Amino acid sequence: MNILIHDLSNEQFQPLFPRIDKDTCIISDTGTIRHCTGCFGCWIKTPGKCVLKDEYNNMGKILSKAEKVTIISKCFYGCYSPFVKNVLDRSIPWMLPFFKIKNNETHHKRRYKNNIQLAVHFYGENTTEEEKETAGKLVKANCINFYVKNYEISFSKSLEELCGKVSAI
Amino acid sequence: MKICIINGSPKAGKSTSGLLIGYLMPFIKGNEIITYNVCKMDFSQIQFSPIQSSDVLIFAFPLYIDSINSALLRFLIELQKRGFKNKNINVYCIINNGFYEGRQNHIAASIMQNWCKAAGLAYGQTLGIGAGEMLPFFKDIPLGHGPNKSIGIAIQKLCQNILSLNQGEDLFISPDWPRFLWKIQASLCFWYPRAKKNGLKIKKLKMFVTNCT
Repeated sequence: MNILIHDLSNEQFQPLFPRIDKDTCIISDTGTIRHCTGCFGCWIKTPGKCVLKDEYNNMGKILSKAEKVTIISKCFYGCYSPFVKNVLDRSIPWMLPFFKIKNNETHHKRRYKNNIQLAVHFYGENTTEEEKETAGKLVKANCINFYVKNYEISFSKSLEELCGKVSAI
Repeated sequence: MKICIINGSPKAGKSTSGLLIGYLMPFIKGNEIITYNVCKMDFSQIQFSPIQSSDVLIFAFPLYIDSINSALLRFLIELQKRGFKNKNINVYCIINNGFYEGRQNHIAASIMQNWCKAAGLAYGQTLGIGAGEMLPFFKDIPLGHGPNKSIGIAIQKLCQNILSLNQGEDLFISPDWPRFLWKIQASLCFWYPRAKKNGLKIKKLKMFVTNCT
């Protein structure tokens, strides 16, 4: 399954991506997402599922079915947009609370064994070189934590420019 | 000097960020200090005003997925949008992460540095601390001693820079506690007892979710 996580409005999204593959699961901003409260309920109360009651509480399971995850996000200070970051914060049920050492650093063990291919497309008119550098490091670090072997990253000044860079979804 | 401390933890109750703010307090007493908790803020102008006119901003927050949690990110965007009355604000950060290595906070520190640049503020310094979930277990051990030795030294250095409005190199530290022991204790003393309290057996923690509703 392909997963597309994006922060675009319907008006922005439809003309850019008029045809979406039926196997693609789209995670978009409905204005109802709640912040992760760091309660660890998804690890020690309802393992694998977030305890918050909203439509984003099963991100771990959704990611477990993913072969490819595409992220489209406005770049803020070298980070994702608040909505996209919110979705990622709510995705920790994909992992286990337990630790392992990778490259002499501690990271969480994975709950699911699927290998994810990641494509992150940042957009924003005024993204600075420093922000691009930070975003590059962030995506790389995310890949280590989500056991992603192959990833691509792009920066676009406009949504039109971005559209040409996003491969079939 | 007017100091605003922003607790960027999304936890409404006790948090490691709150504990670290507590550690900071004795070093900066004598100043006008206002503390906010991002998850309790209503984004009203009454709350933003003191922040916009302070001399120093201190952000204390946990690392979420290698960076800043979404609640704090929303707050930072809003704060930048509203602007600042005082253009000479110095910003300092204390970031804690669940992994052992404090170094893993360096990307969040860069994001804060980029935010300062975008907001036109001076970036002072970040202190990144590893093994954050373990720190409350050591809260009765004085700073600068035993497992809190490096944390005590680093907090003192950070506070010296805050009080003199100086910039400093980012500091990334881990508790003075062996990593292998921390890793074992994380399971035995932290995750397993909490799961047990919720009536879960250990093997249940590793289960897959099969129902996607």
